[in-house]
Amino acid sequence: MNGAVLNRLKEEFGAVRAALPESVIGSARRGEALEALCAQGLPGTRDENWRYTDLRRLEQARFAPAQAQAAVLPPLPTAPEGYVRYVFLDGRLHTDADAPHGVVVRTARSQEPGSTPWRLEARLPEARLALLNETFATDAVSIDVAPGTQATGIELLFVASAAATEGASYPRVRLALGAGARVSVIERHLGRAEAHSLVNSAVHVDLAAAATLTHYRVQQLGAQAAWFDTLSAELAAEARYDLLAVGAGALSARSTVHARLSGRGAAMSLAAAALADGQQSLDLYALSEHIAPHTRTEQTFRGIASSRARAAFNGKVIVRETARGTDSRQSLRGLLDGTQCEIDLRPQLEIYTDEVRCSHGATAGKLDENMLFYLLSRGIAPEAAQHLLKWAFLEDVIAKIAPRDLRRQVETTLLGQMRDLDTLKELL
Amino acid sequence: MLTIKNLHATVDGQEILKGLELEVPEGEVHAIMGPNGSGKSTLAHVLAGRPGYTVTAGSVHFKGRDLLALSPEERAREGVFLGFQYPVEIPGVNNVYLLKAAVNAARAHRGEPEVDAFEFLTLVREKMRLMRMDDSMLSRGVNEGFSGGEKKRNEILQMLVLEPSLAVLDETDSGLDIDALKIVAHGVNTLRAPNRSQLLVTHYQRLLEHIVPDAVHVLVKGRIVRSGDRTLALELEKRGYDWLIGEAA
Repeated sequence: MNGAVLNRLKEEFGAVRAALPESVIGSARRGEALEALCAQGLPGTRDENWRYTDLRRLEQARFAPAQAQAAVLPPLPTAPEGYVRYVFLDGRLHTDADAPHGVVVRTARSQEPGSTPWRLEARLPEARLALLNETFATDAVSIDVAPGTQATGIELLFVASAAATEGASYPRVRLALGAGARVSVIERHLGRAEAHSLVNSAVHVDLAAAATLTHYRVQQLGAQAAWFDTLSAELAAEARYDLLAVGAGALSARSTVHARLSGRGAAMSLAAAALADGQQSLDLYALSEHIAPHTRTEQTFRGIASSRARAAFNGKVIVRETARGTDSRQSLRGLLDGTQCEIDLRPQLEIYTDEVRCSHGATAGKLDENMLFYLLSRGIAPEAAQHLLKWAFLEDVIAKIAPRDLRRQVETTLLGQMRDLDTLKELL
Repeated sequence: MLTIKNLHATVDGQEILKGLELEVPEGEVHAIMGPNGSGKSTLAHVLAGRPGYTVTAGSVHFKGRDLLALSPEERAREGVFLGFQYPVEIPGVNNVYLLKAAVNAARAHRGEPEVDAFEFLTLVREKMRLMRMDDSMLSRGVNEGFSGGEKKRNEILQMLVLEPSLAVLDETDSGLDIDALKIVAHGVNTLRAPNRSQLLVTHYQRLLEHIVPDAVHVLVKGRIVRSGDRTLALELEKRGYDWLIGEAA
């Protein structure tokens, strides 16, 4: 079956190859990417790290990019204060903006023909879907923050509008911060409520020495959408990367995050929240690789699964021989809200050196009976009490969203997902 | 206010309350004392309706109504308050939000409109001063990171804001130093009124130095074995519980 899908993939590529923009990725490179993908094959549920992913949508997908749509955007959330907004529709730049001072933003529209396209980190252990992105990408946004710049925030809004039968969309982002630069980036994936879109995003983060990136990723695609995502990051000495990911939308979503801490003293935190309901399947695979000494990572996951949904977090920490003095922490928690839902938590540690501090904790369970009774004993209705506790459960992550507007919007999205806006609206 | 007749209750299939009789008239403060394992906390939880505490016989009437027929949240809205021995930490649920939600739940139950947000906050601040609580507590999660004493004061704060008809305080004095004990006692005394009753569950007499009860009951092996005025508490302090355990056997 995998072979049949790959054959179809090749045919589709052959049919659209000439129309794919050279300024984003050269035709030859696209062909190489597809070759590499075919050599590895598409992920299957037998792959250890894909067990919790709903891959059916990938098998049924039409891979060729959706045609440029009529330029009608669905209603968008208000731009958070202090952020410059770029909007992409079905993987192509729709609304441009003036780049903040000290920042260069390039897209297919702005890149000069023949300029060298950037490539994703080749050392990714799991890059197959990134290769798929590289094969078909219709646009790419490349953001360079000059050394020492304290830049204004940047918001990248990826809107999926096309149905999967019309083709997929391939958001592609590169974020490169010069030494000592500092910026906050919001990356959001949203779509028309009813669209069966297929979105395959690829993001690469490159942090030079002492650069600081705060990166908010919010996935709130429509209820029928499928999202496949690959994020890679490379951290130089003393760089700091704070990644906060919220997954609420899409029918099936899978994100693969791979961070390499290759500079001494680099630090990364990943805080992720997932709220899965109905038939949703939300899967996050995160690999933190400690390469240099005295590097620090932290993984926090809070996932709730209701109804027949699944929320999964597979968090792996590798400490290389060269990474003495590493400090890594994992705190993974899942909440089961029902009898047919599923939480999968997999903390994994591979340590190849001494002198490290690694701690991990993973718990999955139902709502705490003591907490529930405490709320009831104060007159709170059972259903509201449950919603309140689910809400509180996610707060560990949501409370870390610094931009107030964004936090409110995320909270509203999550509340809407919980279908109990009235009871909880006062929390906002 | 509260009439308990022949109350039998089990926890995990084991009978803890074995024919308990108790009458707490309106406006009175009663103390329930007893050795560990006598059923004091079970009584408190049965009154609040905690799941897992099964009443197998007897009746409990609150203001003439069958209390046992009500769900935990209905009991709360009707004016029954349980002060927990071990108040639960609920990170992520704001203290004030919970208080307000609790007040509004009771108001809705009585057909009253929601409380005005500004007036409510003023009220809470006033009660917090009474309980010598720091303003920072307003923005924190329910009991999150509170010390033992702070948690108990927070329970009393909730009680003062909710103004229940019947407050059942389960070992609110345990784990308190003398200053905190005085603050808690002051809070309890503030709520004394002709239309309110309180049931203090305690192991030691010392709380009763600061809150003078109208009656003291001794609970041993699931039954009230002796009732008296506050001098009974003093006697227990001197003699311990052993002589009564002997009587109960």
